[in-house]
Amino acid sequence: METCLTLDEVSWRHKVRDFSSWKPWAKKDGPGIHSINLEIRSGSILGLIGPNGAGKTTLMRAICGLYECEGFDKSSNSRRNGIGYMPEQVRWEGRVSVKSALNTIALMREDEIDLDSIIKTVGLSSKSDHFLDDLSQGMRQRLSLACALIGNPKVLVMDEPLNGLDPLAQRAFCNLLKDLAKKGVAVVISSHQVSDLEKLVDRVALLHHGQLLIEGTLPNVRKDLGLEKESDIVEMICSVTGISPEEVSLELSNDDLLPFKNLGGEEE
Amino acid sequence: MSALTLGLHIMKQRLSAGRMLVIWPLLAMFILFSSWGLSDPKANLPAELIIDSAYDVMFASTAFIIFSATMGAVLISFDGISRDRLSGVLEVKLSQPIKRAVYARSLLIGHWLAIFLPVLVLNLVSLLIIWHRMDDLPSLEELFIYTLATGLLLLWYTSIQLLASSWAKDMGSSIAVGLGVWVLFTLLWLILTTVVAGLSGVGVENLNSSEYLRIEAIMDLFSPNGVYHHLLELPLSDIDRGISPLSTSIAAILWSVIPLHLFIRRIERMRP
Repeated sequence: METCLTLDEVSWRHKVRDFSSWKPWAKKDGPGIHSINLEIRSGSILGLIGPNGAGKTTLMRAICGLYECEGFDKSSNSRRNGIGYMPEQVRWEGRVSVKSALNTIALMREDEIDLDSIIKTVGLSSKSDHFLDDLSQGMRQRLSLACALIGNPKVLVMDEPLNGLDPLAQRAFCNLLKDLAKKGVAVVISSHQVSDLEKLVDRVALLHHGQLLIEGTLPNVRKDLGLEKESDIVEMICSVTGISPEEVSLELSNDDLLPFKNLGGEEE
Repeated sequence: MSALTLGLHIMKQRLSAGRMLVIWPLLAMFILFSSWGLSDPKANLPAELIIDSAYDVMFASTAFIIFSATMGAVLISFDGISRDRLSGVLEVKLSQPIKRAVYARSLLIGHWLAIFLPVLVLNLVSLLIIWHRMDDLPSLEELFIYTLATGLLLLWYTSIQLLASSWAKDMGSSIAVGLGVWVLFTLLWLILTTVVAGLSGVGVENLNSSEYLRIEAIMDLFSPNGVYHHLLELPLSDIDRGISPLSTSIAAILWSVIPLHLFIRRIERMRP
């Protein structure tokens, strides 16, 4: 598979309020992503997995050029030309029709765009003249997907795209992604719905504390982590974070409390 | 993609927004009724307000434009960015391959046109009212200066409000900043002028004294409403407050360029 985007030591730190300073506007470096090396390949579906706060959304935003960071083989402007981005849970609202909202996004691209065909692809034909205020959450997700598909992107970056979709729509969505991948589109997807993700992805990248711990096909990742053949994504996350699958609790899965272990098992 | 095309699309969306049901009647009441009342030959006006021509009516009615149209600019633009930011739509928009500066300009064009077009239409209707009541029309030069000044005033308020909207983390803060700026320039500027005059040693017991009027004219250069009035006074030969047309033009250019520059820079550096 041809590499369409290369990440070489990509790092980004969020700025957070510095409470140690008397100045209310003082900022310091906060969490982020550190030295990410990754290849995004045409026709492949890459799943980003990791606990909350691992840096999945930050990495996706960096890929889409929303953060100005170095380490990409293409500038953020040229990256944005070939990338379709679907953020997590966009709340489309207002007395604007679905078609008009899509047209706004289409006007931000140079290409000629057939909006009707995109609307049909995502199953919004019957709602194209409805106001955004009248859409259900599932329909809003479809609209976000339609925005990501505008301009025939070479790379699709999707943050939790299955949230809010009914089971049928989820299946249809996964089928659509597989079709797009067959046509050569590279897909980067994050989802907490691990059972769906396992069926969908060709490769996974496991993030924790902003670091890419391991990346590869599911069998290879299982092998590298020393897991059994039928072990799932939850067990992979447990393996790198150092907690036992039987002991998982909401308190333990809080990112601040998770111990950081590298692949050798050594705790930092 | 040009900023104008996207701006026109944003304008259409803004003109069809529910809030226009409030803004249209508000503008109509202020602009049309003021023209109707001030052009009435039997109107009992204050002694210092002398109305002899169509342009005098238009000049006097600008007091009502300052109240209504600038408020309309605030009401149209307060959620221009903050709403998209809160809903996550801004993330979708900023990930598109449009240059941020072009996007910023299109936002400004769209929001500005959404308030300027209704004001322009109502001003044309008010011209007909003045013509009907006084049988007089302003000259083309007067009409040009009046339209240009009104357009610039709305541009300044729109760019300030969009800048506030891009800074604000929520819509409440955005409208608070916008209304604060509006109140400062529309209602509180006279108090600020009086304070400055007092600190400069100019007596404030007589607000018609030449020294006070001079201070007021200078202070007006620092307010969009004041620069608007300086621009409107250009065709009036009987008003001379000691501010040259060059100073007025420079102030108008600075009021146009500085907020626009800050807004574009803000959008370029913005993270969702």
